[in-house]
Amino acid sequence: MIAVVRFQMAGYVRSLRVLPPFIVVVLFVALILIQGPGGPDASDLAVRTFADVAAFMFPVWAWAARALLDTQPDEQRALTATAVRGPFTPVWAGLLAAYAMNLCLGVVVLAVPLLQAVQAGSPGSAILTGCALNLLVAVPGTLLGAWTSRAVIPDPGVSLLVLLGGALALLLLGIGPLARLSVPMIEWLRAAHDGPGAFTSDFPAIALHLVLWSLIVGALYVATSRHRP
Amino acid sequence: MSQRWLTPGLRRWAYRLVIMRLENVAFRYRRKDPWVFRDVSLSLAAGTVTEVTGHNGAGKSTLLRVIAGLRRPRVGAVHGRPSRVGYAPERFPVDQPFSVRTYLGHMAAIRQVPGDPVATWAERLRFDHLLDVRLSELSKGSAQKVGLAQALMADPELLILDEPFAGLDAATRDALPELISQLAAAGTTVVVSDHQRCIEALPGVDRLRVADASVTRLTSDTPTTEERVTLEVEVSGDEAESLESKLRADGYRVRRRER
Repeated sequence: MIAVVRFQMAGYVRSLRVLPPFIVVVLFVALILIQGPGGPDASDLAVRTFADVAAFMFPVWAWAARALLDTQPDEQRALTATAVRGPFTPVWAGLLAAYAMNLCLGVVVLAVPLLQAVQAGSPGSAILTGCALNLLVAVPGTLLGAWTSRAVIPDPGVSLLVLLGGALALLLLGIGPLARLSVPMIEWLRAAHDGPGAFTSDFPAIALHLVLWSLIVGALYVATSRHRP
Repeated sequence: MSQRWLTPGLRRWAYRLVIMRLENVAFRYRRKDPWVFRDVSLSLAAGTVTEVTGHNGAGKSTLLRVIAGLRRPRVGAVHGRPSRVGYAPERFPVDQPFSVRTYLGHMAAIRQVPGDPVATWAERLRFDHLLDVRLSELSKGSAQKVGLAQALMADPELLILDEPFAGLDAATRDALPELISQLAAAGTTVVVSDHQRCIEALPGVDRLRVADASVTRLTSDTPTTEERVTLEVEVSGDEAESLESKLRADGYRVRRRER
């Protein structure tokens, strides 16, 4: 499993497919995050940034995961499938490689907000909550990317539309009465904007929602993988 | 599967008890597509070599993929597939950002092969001078050798080779049937599609013909071809290699006679 993960990550990095999301993240940091929070509410604003970063990164993580899973040619996917022992190993390895790569992007994007939050004197618990939120949001982001990868949607144009449409649909679904079916983006943004206390106290419910959503969507992805070519 | 205390004859007999079976297998790509093949029931005993024949587009590669476990049959089931499967595709995917050495190193790690299989197989298949070349820069024949190496390196119990001779140089083309024969003698189930007819000279090769959405086992008294005619063609020495490759690629038997 680890060897397949390393193989996929190495292919993604060596093919330079990692560059587009990396450049987007660096630009986001350089143009927006680097300015940092100021004024009397600097501490609260610094915590809020973690939630904003998670919301911004959700589609970026999906895009990066899709790109990683699409790096291998179809025939190589077949060779990898015959090389491993378990039928689900390539699927798990692909998800793990995409998540690990997304965590690397997360480290790049969170380094500056983390420093700013520490400098602004934000509560340690709120900073940890912000980091944990990003760790968790990277999972559904990765899964959305996996559902739009070439193994599921062979047409690249259609898969990109589904990725963008899916991210937008999840955001819109979170506003209406069917919010429980969506990723709780509105909830974590609202909690962070209510202050560090609310952000920390609301986090367990948000985390549970994220975990349940990821478990269901991830289980469906793995279960249907055997029916894909 | 290595009963080293048995005599070679008893070992071959013991291998044949290990059988992989396709039972009433049918396959088509999509629900409303025509069947590529249906009602396929056959056994593949360990230690045998099976040649899959048929016209272009008859479904040979699809059958090989079903046997390898890369495609699930729509109907029926495949039983007793060994866990170590080596598969060499008709066209090796060269569009990958690795050198030959790095790629095979990754495949060896995935297959958990001990030792230094990359150097061993590069030497056996005569591409050790290409180990630091990028996959995308390989010729068709060299890429084919890399595909063969990744399939062979893990001592497979089931070896599927889809047109393995296409594009190979004469030396490797001559050596490969012997290698296949050795693997079969060691208990590997080998299934090969071979338009170049390079393995037909191997003794005891089973033959399957894929045609008209069915798979037929050919017996020795089944005519594989219509009446055959031998033509003699004279070419200059520097053209001989390329013409021989072309004729083999077109499915003709070629015998070279030096003057």
